Formats: sequence, C-alpha cells, structure tokens
Amino acid sequence: MVDIRQGVLEIVSTVLEKAPGEISLDAHLVQEVGADSMMALEILAALEKKYRIVIPEEKLIEMTTVNKIIQLTEQSMKGGKKK
Amino acid sequence: MSELIFKDKVAVVTGASRGIGRAIALELVQGGAKVAFNYLKSDCEARTLLAEIEKLGAHGLSFKGDTRDFDLAKEFIDQVKEYFGSLDFLVNNAGITRDKAFMLMDKNEWAEVIDTNVNGYFNMARAVIVTLLKQKSGAIVNISSISGISGIARQVNYSTSKAAIIGMTKSLAKEVAPYNIRVNCVAPGFIDTDMTKSMKEDVRQKSADAIPFGRFGSVEDVAKAVSFLLSERSGYITGQVIKVDGGLHMSY
Repeated sequence: MVDIRQGVLEIVSTVLEKAPGEISLDAHLVQEVGADSMMALEILAALEKKYRIVIPEEKLIEMTTVNKIIQLTEQSMKGGKKK
Repeated sequence: MSELIFKDKVAVVTGASRGIGRAIALELVQGGAKVAFNYLKSDCEARTLLAEIEKLGAHGLSFKGDTRDFDLAKEFIDQVKEYFGSLDFLVNNAGITRDKAFMLMDKNEWAEVIDTNVNGYFNMARAVIVTLLKQKSGAIVNISSISGISGIARQVNYSTSKAAIIGMTKSLAKEVAPYNIRVNCVAPGFIDTDMTKSMKEDVRQKSADAIPFGRFGSVEDVAKAVSFLLSERSGYITGQVIKVDGGLHMSY
C-alpha cells in the first residue's frame, strides 16, 4: 500500500515551494497557502503521473485542501480508469 | 513532397467539411498530422474529406456536432483524445454569416452569428486547454476575418464576432504563454468559398478591384498560414493576427 498522504503532501509542497511541515492538511490552499489555479493544475498533473490515474478536470475546483486532494486521489485510484 | 512538420501531431479543425476548414484539414494531413474535424450538416462532404485524408495514408476522425453546444464540444475532444491518444492543436474555424442591413437585422440573426462564431470558439478552446496546459505544449489558431478588422457593411453581426475573436486570441495568448502554448489568429480577406460565392456579382467585382492582387484568395492560401502558425516555424510568435488578404488591408 502506497502512502498517499505522504506522496500528495510532497507534490503539493514542491509545487507551492513550501516545506511539507508548513502546510496544514486542512488549510485552504488558495486562501491560506497562496496557491493559484495554475498551481492546482500542476498538482493534478503531477498526481496523475505519479499514481498513473486520471483525475477529471471538473475536480480541479474541489482541490482546495491537502486532505481533499488525498481523498480525490484515493477515489481516482479505486474507481478511475488507469492510463 | 512536403516535409512532415506535423509528424505524430494531432490536430482538431472545426467546421472542416467545406471551404477554408477543409483546406486546413488537408494541409495539416499533408504535413503528417492526424486530423479530427467536426461538421454540422454536410454529411456527404464530411465523408468525402475523410476518404481523402485516408487516401493520403493518414488517420482522420469526423464528428457530427455543433460547436455551440458546450458539452458536445467536450465530448468531441474526449473522443479525439481517446481515438488518437493525444492532442496538440486546435483550429477554430467553424463560422457562419447572416448578412443583412443593420436596420433590418433581427435578434436571431445577431445571436446566431455571435453564438457560433464566438461562443463556439470559446467552447472548443475551453475543451482543449487543460490538456495543453498539462503537457505544456500545443498551439491554437483562431480564424477571424478582415471584416473584424476593417468592418464590412451589412456584416455588423459577423464583424463583431470576428473582432471578438481577436481579443480572445490576445488574452488567451498572454494567459497560456507561460505554459509554452501559442495562440494566434488568421484573418482572411476575400477568399473563394461558398460563403463568398453568394455575393452579388457587382459587389464581388468591386471587392476584387479593391484587392492589390486584383483577385480573391484561395482556401489553400489561408491553410498555409494556419499551418505556419501551428508549426515550430512560428515557435516565437503568439498573440498575432496575420491577414491573408492579398494586400486588401492597405486599400481600406
């Protein structure tokens, strides 16, 4: 079992150029951490590559916190089609 | 024999069953691209184009559907990605005219033109953009018109839509440039197509007289400019409007 939490946090912190410890899992990434829509897209693209999943672009708008991104990733790994 | 500048590239051309769109599709195929196109009504012409693409030894995909429908545009693009496995270029070409003296132009003649020529372009660009952003490559060419630059009498609706496309092109070009995506515009002048065949003979003659080249352009003239703007030959060009008009803009 891959540690998704760790993997997602790594990607988010790399894209946002922050230390993983600086980002609280429930912090709003746009309002509190300073992300923008393009960063969300970079996170999505990196997740798809790392976990070989497809996250529908409609889900971009739901990627507001690290915890939500973890949820979405888990959902895509279960239900989503493999690339 | 032309160089295969688009080898392994996948291009989407809207409104390609006839006229300029058709010539663009064939030009890209000749450059080695895999081409998907949509059309609204012309089943027979679409089949002919698909056959021609295959005769050139290339893969083509046709889709019957209206670019005015946001969800359908997305479905079309999903099909293209599924079928070809990737997506590199969009050529927004599908457009209509409803020419009339402005004082007689009704609400529908205005709305239909704006809906197809502006909203249709939005729908298609919106459907492809996330894919291009993610891969950090790709190019979009929007077909505008000299009508959107200089204005043409009895075309207030069409002219408005074609001017809007220029704004769309420039704003989007700025927004996606950091992602290595280029967005440009081609503005044809008077080109020999079904659209201009309906012009009255005296208007046609007067128009030709105003063109420094003294004649209407061919659909291939436009297609070559589109091909250039999609190719790496224009790799440092974005947000541009290239007039393919035989010099007409200088005499207006």
